[in-house]
Amino acid sequence: MKKVIGLIVNPVAGMGGSVGLKGTDGPMYEKALELGAKPVAAKRTKDLLSHIERKDEITLLVAPGNMGEKYVRGYDIAFTVIGTAGSETSAEDTKRISDEMANSGVELLIFVGGDGTARDICDAVNSRVPVVAVPAGVKVFSSVFAVSSRRAAEMVDAFVEGSDVSEEEVLDIDEDAFREDRLASRLYGHLLVPAVPRFLQPGKAGSSISRSSVESKKEIAAYVVEEMDAETLYLLGPGTTLRAITDEMALPKTLLGVDAVFGKKLVGKDLNEKGILGLLREYEKRRIIVTPIGGNGFIFGRGSKQFTPEVIEQVGKANIMVVGTRDKVSELDCLRVDSGDLELDEILSGYVKVTVGYKEGMMVEVRC
Amino acid sequence: MLRETIKLDMNEMPYLPPQEIIDAAQKGLSRLNRYSDPQDLERLRELLADYSGVAKESIILSPGSDFLLREVIHTLAKSRKVVMVSPSFFPTVQAAKDFATERLSIRLSPPRFDLNLDLLLNALAEPSLVIIDNPNNPTGSTLLDRQAVETLVDSTDALLVIDEAYYEFSGVTFADMVQNCPDLAITRTMDKAFSLAGARVAYAVAGKAFLDALSSFYALLPQSSLYAAMEALKGPDYVRRNVQRVIEERERVWRTLNELGAHVHQSTTNFLLMRTEIRDAVSKFRGIGILVSDLSNQLPPGFIRVSIGTREENDAFITGYLTIREAYELG
Repeated sequence: MKKVIGLIVNPVAGMGGSVGLKGTDGPMYEKALELGAKPVAAKRTKDLLSHIERKDEITLLVAPGNMGEKYVRGYDIAFTVIGTAGSETSAEDTKRISDEMANSGVELLIFVGGDGTARDICDAVNSRVPVVAVPAGVKVFSSVFAVSSRRAAEMVDAFVEGSDVSEEEVLDIDEDAFREDRLASRLYGHLLVPAVPRFLQPGKAGSSISRSSVESKKEIAAYVVEEMDAETLYLLGPGTTLRAITDEMALPKTLLGVDAVFGKKLVGKDLNEKGILGLLREYEKRRIIVTPIGGNGFIFGRGSKQFTPEVIEQVGKANIMVVGTRDKVSELDCLRVDSGDLELDEILSGYVKVTVGYKEGMMVEVRC
Repeated sequence: MLRETIKLDMNEMPYLPPQEIIDAAQKGLSRLNRYSDPQDLERLRELLADYSGVAKESIILSPGSDFLLREVIHTLAKSRKVVMVSPSFFPTVQAAKDFATERLSIRLSPPRFDLNLDLLLNALAEPSLVIIDNPNNPTGSTLLDRQAVETLVDSTDALLVIDEAYYEFSGVTFADMVQNCPDLAITRTMDKAFSLAGARVAYAVAGKAFLDALSSFYALLPQSSLYAAMEALKGPDYVRRNVQRVIEERERVWRTLNELGAHVHQSTTNFLLMRTEIRDAVSKFRGIGILVSDLSNQLPPGFIRVSIGTREENDAFITGYLTIREAYELG
């Protein structure tokens, strides 16, 4: 029985890069065209298709025209077209057609694009169908992306072979900041991908949903809560490991945001920088608890822009607690910081103790 | 005809021991209905003490160093924090997970995998049991020198175990320090350099604190293992010769692979740590009949550990690597 796999391409993704723009969102696409931008996604799609080995074992459900259909001929892969789109495509087309694909029973959805496309897929498909994300955008920071088209093809093969899936992150990049050459991001959501982390972009490993991972997070949470000081304000960063900590206290958690806990009670929810700084004025003792982004190891600078340099400086390096499962940390070369303040990054560099289990720590190098 | 599998996954010596050692083991098998003779156990302790240049009383025998290290952790980790490096000899990691109430590991970061000694010293403020494999398995790096060990035993109250499983290859040992350092123990094995992996003879050169704590530990070794080990210790020249051959081969393989653009870490053992982009490298090598070690439970993706075999086996590995890499690059 052949696997039914969806393929959807954002044809304008990545066009801004070669002409010095930082994306093709909204009016930037027109500007990119004026500046002579060439399509990127078409080549990436063809690279992907030419490297899939298990062609005989799949059938593609492709988006129409330049969103997929245009590229799939000549690769000996059976395909059917689904959905409709005009000559000028939009985010709404991506959302609508990927939703149709999910409803049609695709077992895997391949999409070609950047972070913006990933967010559209996240909105439309969420965790209903695992995805393989082919990097073609100017902004490709989300860890859902394969490191290249060829690795994406290998991930498709791995899925066909029956690999497990793991949860990976989709980032929301601040467009205006990005155009000023500053990277500011927050976690937008999660997608499921075939569990072959070494093919994900620098070196994302993802939030495993295996039973052992869940148990490890519970172990970490039990220890952290047991050690919590009643007089200290805890600022909990994004991620499922942090959610395990609030679960342990029977508190809600903003999965993609920063929450604050004092005396095992929630005193701040989905805080932005201003909200955090306000709390820091109220509470004398405070700690930040964060978990590294799986695979690339960022503890600051990706996925948690609420922890700005000012916030981190006010809390102090000594009051930063890092938590993460042993498996997640073992897959990292090191932890990383990219707060946006080079001096602060230097201060944060060195070794930090990561809580990886109940009364179990690992001293891990932080690099910037 | 089926191709014979090339075993480069367990860090074994590729050469058989001399025939007289095999004969000795067979003699032991002829007494298969009997437990080992306690006098033979004492004799093996004497021979190991002579070999190591230490007192016989400091020798503890064990069927494999993993078994011994597990016993050390089981006995001493109830009231002490276990401090290790990561990655490390995996059975020790597992034993710490099973028995230790509190654990701290110091991550050795790629690409150099150095141990930050200050970090280690700072971690020993409370009662601790430190276990470090030196050279480290799987990186192959020698982590501690004599000055570092002296600093550790002089400036902390920690119990320190140094696993010297690959001592004969690295030439680095601190066994002579045990007599004056009651908190120090060295574990060693005859599995590797002595070509006796099948006999499973390991031992500790243990300081007083360890001898006291492990006083009730008594491990019988099979008679065949005892005889083989005693025969091997009568004339260990073959060990020196084989170790030298392995070291020469290790350097040749390391040099060749690096010239071919592979990322291979310098080693002081009988194995090499390699980082590769090849997808599922371990299974691809298995597919061409070469077994290498998968390290995905301790290191980032892409690391494999390759034991040094005979020249022919090593050449087969290098050729196999090139074939797999070429196929991978062609997509």
